[in-house]
Amino acid sequence: MAATQEGLASSKSVEGWKLNLKPMFLGMLVLIAIFGTARWYQQWAAWDYGLDATDPMFDTYWMTVLWAEIIVEVTLFIVFVTYFWVTRDKHLNELTPRKEINRMIHWISMLAVYAFAFYFAGSFYAEQDATWHQTVVRDTSFTPSHIFLFYMAMPVFIIIGFSLFTYAITRLPVFAKRISLPLVLTVCGPFMLLPTVGYNEWGHAFWLMEEYFTVPLHWGFVFFGWSILALAGLLNQLVKRMILIMPLVVDEQGNLTS
Amino acid sequence: MSLTAPEKKLLKAITTKGSAAAKIVRQLDLIVVGILFFAIIAAFHIHIMLTVGDWDFWVDWKDRKNWVTLTPMLLIFIPAALSYPFMQRFGLPIAGTLCALCLVIGEWVSRIVGFHMWTYFPYSMIWPSIAIPGLMLMDLVLMLSRNALVTSIFGGSAVALAFAPANWPILAPYHLPVVHIDQVVSVADLIGYSFTRTATPEYLRIIERGTLRTFGGESTLISTFFSAFVCMVLFFIWWKIGEWVTNLGTVPNRFKSMVGYSEEEDDEDAKETV
Repeated sequence: MAATQEGLASSKSVEGWKLNLKPMFLGMLVLIAIFGTARWYQQWAAWDYGLDATDPMFDTYWMTVLWAEIIVEVTLFIVFVTYFWVTRDKHLNELTPRKEINRMIHWISMLAVYAFAFYFAGSFYAEQDATWHQTVVRDTSFTPSHIFLFYMAMPVFIIIGFSLFTYAITRLPVFAKRISLPLVLTVCGPFMLLPTVGYNEWGHAFWLMEEYFTVPLHWGFVFFGWSILALAGLLNQLVKRMILIMPLVVDEQGNLTS
Repeated sequence: MSLTAPEKKLLKAITTKGSAAAKIVRQLDLIVVGILFFAIIAAFHIHIMLTVGDWDFWVDWKDRKNWVTLTPMLLIFIPAALSYPFMQRFGLPIAGTLCALCLVIGEWVSRIVGFHMWTYFPYSMIWPSIAIPGLMLMDLVLMLSRNALVTSIFGGSAVALAFAPANWPILAPYHLPVVHIDQVVSVADLIGYSFTRTATPEYLRIIERGTLRTFGGESTLISTFFSAFVCMVLFFIWWKIGEWVTNLGTVPNRFKSMVGYSEEEDDEDAKETV
């Protein structure tokens, strides 16, 4: 859906304000399709083929999915980050305030897609991991729950996060001149959830810690989850920048001047 | 704090009804609300589920001292941290209520789609704890006092003091005694025995000490007051963490020449901006 306002510019030579939210909604729909399909697959294949990691059927129905996920995700990560770097704006110093506002709001709308992806990893798939492992089975590191939580939901928000980071430092002057620490934390903090999986799996195998979901072994996820608090600092920086550049493109009546 | 001339101009522009500036700001607001909604659900939910989740998942675990003691302590971290930017930067004393609301939404979606639809537990066994009243009181104290210290003492303690009473109306029926295999147990215990959880301590072995049980009695009060004391301290610590995170700055970008900026270019403007 695109929200379009026409005729807002005071002069005919000034392009009216146009906010294109299609990429944001499209991104969210794609995520709903991916995660919805995965949840349906769990319902269909977990009880029948996902209870025993030594069963050949587990290999067919679950490990195949795992390998496919990893191949697709690594490919997408490289494609997106490379694309945003190669097509970077090489003349950012000449960017007009109007274009900067357009890009910034577009980028913020994609930040909503990042937050939406993080929701599936941090909330939806994370807590259902508890119910499967504590009440059904957790025989290896690869279970019907983990295969979608750790190896799909987490990589998806990491791909989006790093793509957004690359877009920010190559297209938005506010982040290109100097690197924003809240932005780094907002992207890299949640990213660290994935390496924490390594410690988590090692710990589960070594100490067999399935009795409590709240075991200290899991607190690494909590610590890096806190880094999303840096969103507050990021929004603070964005608002400051908007306050600085918006007066350059609007007059006192609120009409666009450039 | 006085406004500069461009800031005054901007303020006038965005408060002019129907103007392009007003629309830009309104649309930005709506997008930011969406971002905060999903990000807070994710961050707050993963924090709660991995620190006090076990007591929150199951109704029979809600009769333990640790549930009353630890849950309010852990509930206060993220709302306290977010209270700083919400209140100090945007004048909104809503962080506690927003976090509680996001948490309950995230938890219910997970309990329905995961716990109920995937592993077939009844809702009577898996309802999440009620956290909204205490965190609303925390916001109320912040709104009235506009002071972090006062809020840590009265608002922080309110999170703990309101927790057990807020949950009591829904929890009380589960404390009714029933006889099961010649033993007196609670309704919650009986539900727990009926729905097997293969990896939880009760199923593997009885490991708890009798003193961990509350039966809604005086240990609930004692746990609540202990929790209130810790919550006072935690609110202030996490308020300061929120302040630190909100005011994080920038570092030089070594690659800025690759996007059109010269290495020598003065970046004081960017420093000031961020």
